[in-house]
Amino acid sequence: MGKVIDVVKRDGTRPTERFDRNKLHASVLAACLSVRSPHGEAETAANSVCDVVISWCETKPEITSSDLRRTAANHLNRIHPEAAYLYKHHRLVL
Amino acid sequence: MNTPESLIIVAVAALIHASFQLSVSVLTLLSSHTIGAKRSHARLLGLTNAFALGVTIMTVLLLSTTALLIKLKSSFIDQTALWVVACGLLFGLGVAVWIFYYRRGQGTSLWLPRGLARYLSDRTKATKQSAEAFGLGLSSVVAELLFVFVPILVSALVLIELSPAWQLAGIGLYTALSLAPLLAINAMIGSGHKISRIQRWREDNKRFLQFASGGGLLVLGFYVYVDQVLTPTVLAAANGGL
Repeated sequence: MGKVIDVVKRDGTRPTERFDRNKLHASVLAACLSVRSPHGEAETAANSVCDVVISWCETKPEITSSDLRRTAANHLNRIHPEAAYLYKHHRLVL
Repeated sequence: MNTPESLIIVAVAALIHASFQLSVSVLTLLSSHTIGAKRSHARLLGLTNAFALGVTIMTVLLLSTTALLIKLKSSFIDQTALWVVACGLLFGLGVAVWIFYYRRGQGTSLWLPRGLARYLSDRTKATKQSAEAFGLGLSSVVAELLFVFVPILVSALVLIELSPAWQLAGIGLYTALSLAPLLAINAMIGSGHKISRIQRWREDNKRFLQFASGGGLLVLGFYVYVDQVLTPTVLAAANGGL
C-alpha cells in the first residue's frame, strides 16, 4: 500500500495513528484462533480481511477505528461468522 | 428457623449470586485472549483453573468474614434490625438488577463504570501467569461486591444461627452453588467448546438471567421479611396482648 492513511481512534480521546496492516492482521488472526480455527485457515481469513480493508480505505484520506473494525467484521462475517462474532463483540463482554 | 429452612435460604441466595455474571465474563475474555494468543491447552487450563480458584477463595473469605463480623457484633446490634436492613437491600437490589444490571445494546456489557470495565479488560488481556489469573479471580469478585454483598449478607445472617458443623456445610453449599456456572463454563472451555458459542448463549439469555436474578432477590426479600421480621413481631405483639 503506497498511500499513508490515518486512523482516528475511538471517541477521539487517543491520538490519531497510522494504519498498520500487521495490527489488523493480528487482531483478526486472534479472533479466528479464539474460535479454535486451524492456524492455516485463520491466516487465510486474516489476509483476506486485510486485503479487503486496504482496498476499501485506499479511497479515503482518513478513517475512524470504528469504521475500520466494522468493515473488517463485515468481510470476516462472510468467510468466518463465528470469528466475526467474537471480533465484533470482544469489547462488549464486560 | 430450622436447619433445612436455613440451608434452603442459603441455597437460594447462592443461586442469585450465581446469576451475577462478572466472573463469567472475565473468564470468557481470559480464555478468548489465551486461545487467540496461541498459548498451549495446558496453559489455558492453568490460567482458567487459577482464575476459578481465586473466585472460590474470595467468595469463601467474603462469606466467612461477613458471618464472623456479624457474630462478633451480634451482642451490640439488634438482629431484627439487621434483617430489616437485609430485606431493604434485597428489595432495592432486585429493582436495581432489573433496571441496570446489563447495559442496553448488543453484547453482555454489565453495569460496571466503563473505566473499570476497560481496566479489567486490559488486565485480562495482560494475564499470562497463573498467579495473575488467581489475582484476577479475587478482584473480579470484589469488583462485583455491590451486587454479591446482599446475598452474602443474607446467608451470613442465616449461617450464624446454625451449629459450627452446619455453618461449614452452609459455606460449602453457598460456594458450590454460587460458582456452578463459572465451573461449568470452565469445564466447557477446557473440553474444547467454542468461546463464541458460549458468549452467544450468554448474550441470547441475558435478559432472562436478569429477570430471574431480580425476581429471585424480590422473592427472597419478601420471604425473609415475613419469616424474620413480620412473624416474630406479630407473635411478640400477640404474646404481649395475652
